[in-house]
Amino acid sequence: MAQIEQSDNKGKKKKGAQKKMAIHVDFTPMVDMNMLLITFFMLCTTMIKSQTLSISLPTNEKVENEAQMNKAKESEAITLILTTDRDENGRIKKDDEGNELNTVFYYFGQPQIADENHDGIIDDNNIKAERFIGNDGSVQRGIRKILHDRNKQVLAKIDALKADWRDKKFSPNKDINDSIYQARAKEIRNDSTLTRPVVVIKATPQASWESLIGALDEMQINQIARYQIDNITTVDSALIIDYLKKNPRK
Amino acid sequence: MGKVKIKRKSTLIDMTAMSDVTVLLLTFFMLTSTFLQKEPVTVMTPSSVSEEKVPVANLTQILVSPEGKVFISLAGDPDSKENPDWGTEPMRIAVLERAVSEYNRLHPSKQIKLSPQQKLTFSKINAFGVPFQALPSFLSLSQLDQDKIMQDMTRADVGIPVNDNRDLDHPNEFQIWMRAIYNSGNDNLQSAMKKGEGIAVKADRGTEYRIVQNVLDNLQTLKMNRFSIMTALKTEQD
Repeated sequence: MAQIEQSDNKGKKKKGAQKKMAIHVDFTPMVDMNMLLITFFMLCTTMIKSQTLSISLPTNEKVENEAQMNKAKESEAITLILTTDRDENGRIKKDDEGNELNTVFYYFGQPQIADENHDGIIDDNNIKAERFIGNDGSVQRGIRKILHDRNKQVLAKIDALKADWRDKKFSPNKDINDSIYQARAKEIRNDSTLTRPVVVIKATPQASWESLIGALDEMQINQIARYQIDNITTVDSALIIDYLKKNPRK
Repeated sequence: MGKVKIKRKSTLIDMTAMSDVTVLLLTFFMLTSTFLQKEPVTVMTPSSVSEEKVPVANLTQILVSPEGKVFISLAGDPDSKENPDWGTEPMRIAVLERAVSEYNRLHPSKQIKLSPQQKLTFSKINAFGVPFQALPSFLSLSQLDQDKIMQDMTRADVGIPVNDNRDLDHPNEFQIWMRAIYNSGNDNLQSAMKKGEGIAVKADRGTEYRIVQNVLDNLQTLKMNRFSIMTALKTEQD
């Protein structure tokens, strides 16, 4: 391919014509150089385009009177407390399968901290432990299942809406279809006639950043509109210590 | 018996096709690539199902290293037709001037001065993170030495101080920077920061919550309550 064959004029030799040579261009150095350039570009690029997750936090200003505070109904409240098991060097411990040990403790409503017989053990500790686990097919697992079950009414409506959205029932135009879907989904998420949970997310100081994002992610997956990030209290730590006493880790 | 003639074959391999392929690959990588920005620490962002894209212009990225060191990288609005000063480099200089004058006002006994050359050096740095007191000497160093310092997380003079978070009348250095960025004169960046798209917090997935929370707390003091978090994409299955 790289050589150009020059045919001599039908076998007739002209007198004094120079001997014709096959011109051959060696492309090997060119390939070498290209490979180097490719390597350079491959190493310098980011293939994974990062995404963002937007959150808003409350202001640091103190709320003076109790009346200004928004209180959640006890029956709707779920508190998640995130922890991460670390060794003495601060490294995250891993379980047998190599997954990082991010635990979510959760309780519904008010924390039960009563200790009637004063034996240092909380009588009716309502805290439970769960993990962040992905779906198994279409079945929710871990903390996602708990949240999913608490937000069933909203999710059922959103699932119906999603089916309409996939069939492009709102509009044949993709963008309009998307925006109508988003607006309707938001309406459903904020529909006060449905029973919707209020989630309070708390993280212990050692909890990994990933577990907090994981918790925020669960809010998005489970279409929960009302959640907040709060500081951990002594009551919460007491509940966890009590739980770990009763259910020691291996 | 006739001798069997072994034909001598040339060992030349035609490289043209190979060259064609490599050029094609090269073109692909050149066109699709977005260059990695130089960062003092490489962090693995946590994964999330959120699909919002990271804006390329008008973004303040706050990088938190696992040790708790904070770095800021600024991207301006290079395509702005309204104002050429909103581009990344002129904006960085404006932010630097504003932040330094604010620092000098608050610390009259420890004033710092920067030469135009040092300001120019600053505008070329992608992610910066040294305390104000170390700034003049840091900006006089060669790029190689700057990189060496920035990558050493054990040094005390690396990272923007974020502790001592009190109120708006006594801002710490991080808050001085953030306020200078907010008031840099780039209206597009300001409105992006108001909406929360203009501030992105980037931290490693294993970083302890208290370290990141300290930074978030600073932002809350500044009333920058809306912001975004850098994540990597995942699906509901994982």
